[in-house]
Amino acid sequence: MRDSPATEQATDSAELVNAVGLHARPSVKLTQLAKTFACRVEIALSADGPWVDAKSPVKVMRVKAPCGAVLHVRASGPGAAAAAQALMALVRGGFGEPSHEPADLSHG
Amino acid sequence: MANVGIVIVSHSPKIAEGAADMVRQMVGDSVNLAYAGGDPGGGLGTSVPSIRDAIDRAWSEAGVAVLVDLGGAETNSEMAIEMLDAERRDRVVVCNAPIVEGAVMAATEASGGSTLEAVRRTAEELSPQ
Amino acid sequence: MTPEHLHKLIVAVADAVIAHADELTELDQAIGDGDHGVNMRRGFEAVRADAAATAEKPLPDALKAIGTQLVMKVGGASGPLYGTLFLALGKTIAPDASNIAAAFAAAVQAVEARGKSHPGQKTLLDVLAPVQAALADGGPHLPARLPIVAAAAADATVPMLATRGRASFLGERSIGHMDPGARSSALMIASLCRALEELDLG
Repeated sequence: MRDSPATEQATDSAELVNAVGLHARPSVKLTQLAKTFACRVEIALSADGPWVDAKSPVKVMRVKAPCGAVLHVRASGPGAAAAAQALMALVRGGFGEPSHEPADLSHG
Repeated sequence: MANVGIVIVSHSPKIAEGAADMVRQMVGDSVNLAYAGGDPGGGLGTSVPSIRDAIDRAWSEAGVAVLVDLGGAETNSEMAIEMLDAERRDRVVVCNAPIVEGAVMAATEASGGSTLEAVRRTAEELSPQ
Repeated sequence: MTPEHLHKLIVAVADAVIAHADELTELDQAIGDGDHGVNMRRGFEAVRADAAATAEKPLPDALKAIGTQLVMKVGGASGPLYGTLFLALGKTIAPDASNIAAAFAAAVQAVEARGKSHPGQKTLLDVLAPVQAALADGGPHLPARLPIVAAAAADATVPMLATRGRASFLGERSIGHMDPGARSSALMIASLCRALEELDLG
């Protein structure tokens, strides 16, 4: 089913800055955030896709993007702009996790 | 509608508790979560009464998804479900999924307000087809 | 059947399982996780402790009470399987046990459903199914014949390849050992039949 031209669309991208990248815990946070929007939300490691459903925890976790990778988001439907913005804010904010490798305590 | 609840059933109380800890830390506390582990004598195994109690603790009107480890955990969970009241029985499912990943995935899905069937499907996406 | 008779039967079966717990454990250590004897002893000690009260109930309720205790106390996979056997028996049997063959057939089917298993997979069903068939065929001296059928069926699990239950993890290595669940089933049937003969009710 194709969206009508009037459907709200949004795309954005952001670099993964947290140390572990899109690992298990960040994947869960991203999925949970995506689920709060009614619109379709997808993510990809390239602007050309392949796109995966940002509301599917299993699919998001399989993306396995490392720190430094650029994550793309596209959303369509009601609230698409807000959804894309919120997801990328989460990514830019490092999912609330450390943005650098934690100090190596073994040499401390 | 409340979020679907999650129950973790392992032969080992430590695995059950540890998996529940992971779910709590990763998914937060927006889903009811309970676990059962160990046999009626306190050894490795599973027990119907403790599974039934865990289902009670995790109970949600939206239903409860149960994640299990080896054979007896599944059989005992199915037995525990069958012993529930008729109106509850149909709202509890055992997911065919790996216990730790399945619990995290199911809880993530549940935290978004998904139906019991959607929660089960997400957990089972992890299983080899 | 009087409460005294029923009491004697319950105690006979419970005592047989309890007395053979170590043997069941040894069988289970060979191809399972070694807890069958301990689990069954725990369950049947609970059944034995309540035998007097259970025996006062009508037969269907007594069987359901035993099934519930096994479900609650045994654990492992045997708890739900044996629990289901007794619960299903209690659900179908007539108070005078006149439909024992049909009730036992229904109960064995319930165990198959519970275990998602069928005869030939090296489980308790490999004893329960032939016993059920012999019971359905009927004829004289059933209490004398059924233990023989059950023992032979348990022996026949020795060369089987396990494809269900914990023993199936062992694959070919499960061959050469008697299935512990088959053995415990045979034990229960033998002790029940012996007690029936002593009561001369069979």
